[in-house]
Amino acid sequence: MICENCKQRPAKVTVTQVHNGEHFERHYCENCANSLHPFYVEYKQDPLSLHQLLSNWFNHAEQQPVHPKQDRPKLVCDECGWSIQRFLDEGKFGCASCYNSFRKQLPNVLKRLHNGNVTHIGKAPGALGEKLELKKRIEAIRSQMKEAIETERFEEAAKLRDEARELESRIASGGDETHVN
Amino acid sequence: MSIERFLDNSPSSWMAGSGDHSDIVMSTRIRLARNLNGYRFPLAFTEDEAHKIDQSVSATLLDADEEIQMNFSSIQIKDLSELSRQVLVEKHLISPKLANSPMTGSVLLSDDESVSVMVNEEDHIRIQCLFPGLQIQEAYAQADTIDRLLDKELPYAFDEQFGYLTSCPTNTGTGLRASVMMHLPALTMTKQMNRIVTIISRLGMVVRGIYGEGSEALGNVYQVSNQTTLGKTEEDILSDLQSITEQIIQKEKEARSALLSHSANTLEDRLYRSLGTLSYARIITTEEAARCLSDVRLGIDIGLIKDVDVTILNECMVFMQPGFLQKYAETTLNASERDTFRAKLLRERLQMGENPKTKGEELA
Repeated sequence: MICENCKQRPAKVTVTQVHNGEHFERHYCENCANSLHPFYVEYKQDPLSLHQLLSNWFNHAEQQPVHPKQDRPKLVCDECGWSIQRFLDEGKFGCASCYNSFRKQLPNVLKRLHNGNVTHIGKAPGALGEKLELKKRIEAIRSQMKEAIETERFEEAAKLRDEARELESRIASGGDETHVN
Repeated sequence: MSIERFLDNSPSSWMAGSGDHSDIVMSTRIRLARNLNGYRFPLAFTEDEAHKIDQSVSATLLDADEEIQMNFSSIQIKDLSELSRQVLVEKHLISPKLANSPMTGSVLLSDDESVSVMVNEEDHIRIQCLFPGLQIQEAYAQADTIDRLLDKELPYAFDEQFGYLTSCPTNTGTGLRASVMMHLPALTMTKQMNRIVTIISRLGMVVRGIYGEGSEALGNVYQVSNQTTLGKTEEDILSDLQSITEQIIQKEKEARSALLSHSANTLEDRLYRSLGTLSYARIITTEEAARCLSDVRLGIDIGLIKDVDVTILNECMVFMQPGFLQKYAETTLNASERDTFRAKLLRERLQMGENPKTKGEELA
């Protein structure tokens, strides 16, 4: 079969047109097919949203030559079944375990949302929170102690030192170290 | 207790027009986002999980009301009519997201409406405290009390590195969003807002119009809030917002006195015209009403308009919204009917605050 358009080259491309419910087949050579039916895809563009930004940042970061051999990760959270790609697409996590499943990838995302920060330094719940508050109190006592020493109020400084030690022993009996800064 | 009282036209405590700097700062809002271990986040959970979360959070808070000396009412969102949901949204007591959620969810409201705890919104728990005027520390202390109370009974999702784990990574860490709603007519009139918005955004804060993200500043009311929730302590987030708010208050005051000293007559004319419109208009759109209310409020703040109640802007900005208007009219209204009812409501509200003595003097 030769091309319907130029009637010279052999036809290699079949184009099916639907017009008023009727199908028409056209047979073109590659050259004519390109010029008559340029390939294009129409797609709806959403306004730039948070998840798109997340995706862009994340993929961009992954493409940096620091990890040249790393493929795009196919991580899946074993708790809720969400993949990291779904997290990036939706801009939301499926469950609390996602944070653990995507732990290595998250700093890249979080630092862009939080002015470069990737580590929590605020309040903590339950026993952890109590320990954190103790640490803050110890720090406050220590700075008071320093002041007392500088102004030669040694008796007071000694009292403060004992107080701080008291609190420290309470933390030590409580278990692991936690982040303060 | 009947939920009707949360839906009628009685003002919430945050509209009271009291608190520090209440001539410029209308209200302060603190929000803490929390989730429970063992359940997926609301975007991914099942109805069964939603139900269990709702029960345990509601029970914990309702049981503890003696301990914190606060009475809570629990309202199931599914039990509410569409109009009632809209009214709660317009009062800032629940979010549109919770109002439209297909899953079991509820809101726990304190009697004075200063605390609302949303269950199964974007996160399992959202503690929100809304105070009049500039009261960042006070509102946070209130939210913190509720948070500690729930923490004692419920297993919070927390990670040593990432902090409180939230559905959206923009809340990860402290889960804290602190915001102040400010009335900034003079900065807007003198075209300084764009500059201020740019500067604030460089400091990790956001400025938005009153109705949240992407909305224009209706009635010259702007919301300033922290953007960063990770890598900063709660204290730092609050004190940063406090200091930025104080600086904006200062700038607004300067702009107000500049307007007064340079064009007192023009300003006075504009403010009184707006009072006239609100007092006599028979048809008024949301935009026009918001602009006029802003003018009248400014007139009260600078001592020009003396016979109108200061809470007028706070209350009317809420009550002139579609949900409240329909509640007030006791029927559904189309857009043009709403404009008529809005005008009626504003006329009535303004008369309520009028002082007959001063009126007599004006007439004389």
